[in-house]
Amino acid sequence: MQAVLQNTSRYLSGGRSGHLIVIGLLVVMFIVGAVLSDRFATSNNLLNVYEQSAGLAFVSLGQTLTILTGGIDLSVGSIISLVAMLTSGLINGNPAMVLPVVLFVLVLGTLIGVMNGAAVVVTGVHPLIVTLGTGAIVQGVALLYGLGPTGKVPLNFDTFAYGRIAGKISIGATIAIALFLLVWFILRYTRSGRYVYAVGDDPHAARLMALPHKRVLIGVYAASGFFAALTAVYLVSRFGVGQPYTGANYTLASITPVVVGGTMLAGGRGGVIGTLLGVYLVSLLNNVLNFMDVSSHFQLVVQGLVIILAVSVYVEKRRVA
Amino acid sequence: MLSLQGISKGFPGVQALTDMQLEVRQGEIHALIGENGAGKSTLTRVVAGVHQPDTGSIDFDGALVSWSGPGDAKRHGIHVIYQEFVLFPHLSVAENIFIGHERRNRLGLIDHRRTRSDARNLLDKFGIDVDPTTLVRDLSVADQQMVEIAKALVHDVKLLILDEPTAVISGPEVTVLFERLRALRNAGVAILYISHRLEEIFDLCDRVTVLKDGKYVATRMIASVERDELISLMVGRSLSELFPKRNTQSADSPVVLEVRNLSIPGRVHNASITLRRGEITGLAGMVGAGRSELAFAIFGAMRSSGGQIFVDGREIHDMTPRRAIAEGIGLVTEDRKGQGLAMNLNIAANMTASTLSQFTRFGLIDFAREFKVAKQEIESYRIACRGPSTSVSLMSGGNQQKVIVARWARTSTKVLILDEPTRGVDVGAKIEIYRIMQELADQGIAILMISSELPEIIGMSERVIVMREGVITGELTRDEITEETVIELATRRYAS
Amino acid sequence: MMSVSAMPEKDATSGAFVHTKLMPILTHYGIFLFLVLAILVSGLITPAFVSRDNISNMLMQLAPLGIVVIGQAFVILVRGLDLSVASVMATSAVVATSFSGQNGDAAWVVLAAISVGIATGLINGLLVTKRNVSPFLATLATMIVLQGLRFAWTQGAPSGNVPPFFRSIGTGAFYGVPYNVVIMFIVAIVLAIVLHRSAFGRRMYITGGNPVTAKLVGISSDRITIAAYVICGALAAGAGLILSGFVGVVDNFVGRGFELDSIVAAVMGGVALSGGRGTVAGALAGAAILVVISNAVVMFGLPVQLQTIIKGVVIVVAASLYVNRSH
Repeated sequence: MQAVLQNTSRYLSGGRSGHLIVIGLLVVMFIVGAVLSDRFATSNNLLNVYEQSAGLAFVSLGQTLTILTGGIDLSVGSIISLVAMLTSGLINGNPAMVLPVVLFVLVLGTLIGVMNGAAVVVTGVHPLIVTLGTGAIVQGVALLYGLGPTGKVPLNFDTFAYGRIAGKISIGATIAIALFLLVWFILRYTRSGRYVYAVGDDPHAARLMALPHKRVLIGVYAASGFFAALTAVYLVSRFGVGQPYTGANYTLASITPVVVGGTMLAGGRGGVIGTLLGVYLVSLLNNVLNFMDVSSHFQLVVQGLVIILAVSVYVEKRRVA
Repeated sequence: MLSLQGISKGFPGVQALTDMQLEVRQGEIHALIGENGAGKSTLTRVVAGVHQPDTGSIDFDGALVSWSGPGDAKRHGIHVIYQEFVLFPHLSVAENIFIGHERRNRLGLIDHRRTRSDARNLLDKFGIDVDPTTLVRDLSVADQQMVEIAKALVHDVKLLILDEPTAVISGPEVTVLFERLRALRNAGVAILYISHRLEEIFDLCDRVTVLKDGKYVATRMIASVERDELISLMVGRSLSELFPKRNTQSADSPVVLEVRNLSIPGRVHNASITLRRGEITGLAGMVGAGRSELAFAIFGAMRSSGGQIFVDGREIHDMTPRRAIAEGIGLVTEDRKGQGLAMNLNIAANMTASTLSQFTRFGLIDFAREFKVAKQEIESYRIACRGPSTSVSLMSGGNQQKVIVARWARTSTKVLILDEPTRGVDVGAKIEIYRIMQELADQGIAILMISSELPEIIGMSERVIVMREGVITGELTRDEITEETVIELATRRYAS
Repeated sequence: MMSVSAMPEKDATSGAFVHTKLMPILTHYGIFLFLVLAILVSGLITPAFVSRDNISNMLMQLAPLGIVVIGQAFVILVRGLDLSVASVMATSAVVATSFSGQNGDAAWVVLAAISVGIATGLINGLLVTKRNVSPFLATLATMIVLQGLRFAWTQGAPSGNVPPFFRSIGTGAFYGVPYNVVIMFIVAIVLAIVLHRSAFGRRMYITGGNPVTAKLVGISSDRITIAAYVICGALAAGAGLILSGFVGVVDNFVGRGFELDSIVAAVMGGVALSGGRGTVAGALAGAAILVVISNAVVMFGLPVQLQTIIKGVVIVVAASLYVNRSH
């Protein structure tokens, strides 16, 4: 009996309480949508919401990992912009180039992430500042590559974003779920995953325990770079071309689902499943606001308020005695 | 088991160790003592592979070794339990025990079930009563320490190093710890035990090595050494008396502070105390008995439920730190770095922090006056520093403590509460702090001294209040204070 | 009785000149040396860089960022961060266009704009202190909310005009010194006195250095923290007015990038993100370096894109010089 109680209390305190909160918000949002419009609760609409969640899902997945280690990656927006331009610019309408270019840009994104991680490890500067700096560098390179939309992609390149299994289930969004499950599995069942939490929980202890904290940090920023690049490929698939500011809004947008999903900015607590739910919450919120005919301007207001609401729920214990 | 020869280690600006030697044998508990700054931590870190020595050789388990890092030393059977635990608060006990050595299945994946059962077996084997699925942050400090020890036992530990393990626990917990350590010694583990408390060393250890100023002084058998000899080896001079002479005349001095029936939900129950002008009152008890919480509540830094606080006979409602300061109450907390000092600021700023408004005109600080006062206090408390503008982060623990005491030792102060005032400071600084406390009492300040060290309680207190599990179990006057009476009250099970 | 206490453990020995003498000088004054060096080198490469016109031009660019960076430094000093400054700047500029556009309304414009800044700062401060929201998220949220409100209010694009008075402040000069630069220096001097000389400033340092100590010495750190956010908001609003007067046109994005630039400038200037460390002069020097870099790239005839790249490199390098290696 006591074990049950303890497990429950652990469940509630272990960041998984976040799931309950997000699920609650999702349900509320769903009810509001259903009351507002009879077109809301249709499979058509919900499949659209699902489809539109993919881009945010990839980049937030990477962001979750950096935040779990107590860091943050503010360079993802710039990485998305650069990679998006390179994708459409290098493919430039040639179907034969699709595979090599996509592979190249995914590797490139990962390498930029490795550099972020290495800079964090070597300089000891707060990741916020490091990735702000590297983000500026990457953005500058993107602008050197081109000042406007660059290149084009073959028509069928839109399969990633718009393709549907059996004409219903979005391919991109399903790939996103698969990747979330993969990362969840890695976090739970591998030593590297365990160390991600440990490094975020207490970096000093991680060093004293001789855990491979440098490798962990480089790893999470590499992952973040990879997923940012994947988001870029997705966005090119969706819009047909990359621009120097394709990713501009994604830096901050990628953080919202993470914190709404219950991952603490302080590190060591939370997880990717919460983030996935957070992504769906954001997508659903936008959809409901569209149904409410709220101007896009006020959608921003509501998003800001949701962040405040969600975050105030996970109030950390006051450290002051 | 371990033998160090000619070890030197320098850091930019400091020569931490010079020509150091140390020998620890298998199956012994070897004490390492010395004042703060004597080089104990650096020596520990060299043995544990955190630092590489500049010169000298380390022999371990019959071979000349050179650690590439802490992981290397650990693999060879050296395990350190630092004063600050190396635990991950949001991982479970079992996960913490096996961190770095995760229990995995054939696929290389973490085996959660085996992690739990192995942890349970390990804890059971050494009689440690902790649920392996609990999150470490939900454990008491003593249980966290047991988890630290369990971590050492995962490996074939040959040398266990403990850095001031009793700084955070007391009473029966210490007894339990010592039992475990003796069991390990009898199982053939070499133990290096670092402590400030001589009593413990005589109780637990077989041999002792004394360090001073980064140099080796002597190694002695505990059975054939006197306490005074150890002290004089440590501080370089003989000390006949730790505690200052008391001027007893306070039995009927006026009551300055009276607390009636104060409670803190879950921590303190119906506590009532009185403090008199010029009197040093000891507040004894185990760690976790609610003494610090009571102090915080009196000072208004922790919410209390019910109860009344009177200063000079006037009731003060809704106590806050600001009100407490205005009423002349000061609090020196146990955790200097975490609570007492703004490490980024200099001595002067830290001294005047609580009385800043006395140093301002039109909202601007009178730096000349602030420095003048700071200089006077540096002199009167013999604080070792270059001057009022020295950053407190560069000072030793004892000197930091004096800065905090100086902060409160103003003419306006009527009551000063000191929570473990000599924790983590060396013998020399201890004597200084005792002297300062006595001087303050002689000036008429009522002092409440929270301490877990019996000699200190007995040596300093005019009167002793004892707490146990949040309840005041008794009060002893001068003649009644002995080790036995205090321990009896601190551990007594009252009729329930 | 002689003192037997241990001497400071990290006491200097003679051989450690670099560590004990040189490093502190570099960490305290390195930013100013770097600034002077950057100006000298740029001047050597392109003499036009140190021409009267260009220097005056750079100072005018510095004014709005200089004002914002002081506010940002105040917030970072108490362990905070303010991502909403750019949004406040734009909103303040938009507010300025919402009156008649005549000089007679100038006082009302200032009052209304500064009120927006104060209100935002107050909300930021309350969220951080009373709700315990992390500063990053609290100010991110107010930034987004404010942006949404601004878009909704302007229906996409601001239509009114800024009173000419602001235009003349933004571009005019007083005996050759641009008005907005005069304003910046007055603001800097006043706030330097507040931070370095006043009890309030001292309490900010204590609160940022150790919030628990602050509480235990009777400082209401919540109030100090809120005040820092309010000051930052007010300064950002003022900077928004000055920038809109300088640029001459108002859109929804006046001040875009200032949130990051101000954080970067403050950190480069030695304001520690961990709180409790930093000076007004250092923060200003950090801002000046950003302006010098941007300007030098243009003067050298290099691609403008290099501005961002060089800025990025300088941020990381500068910040790494401040990292305390002893931990």
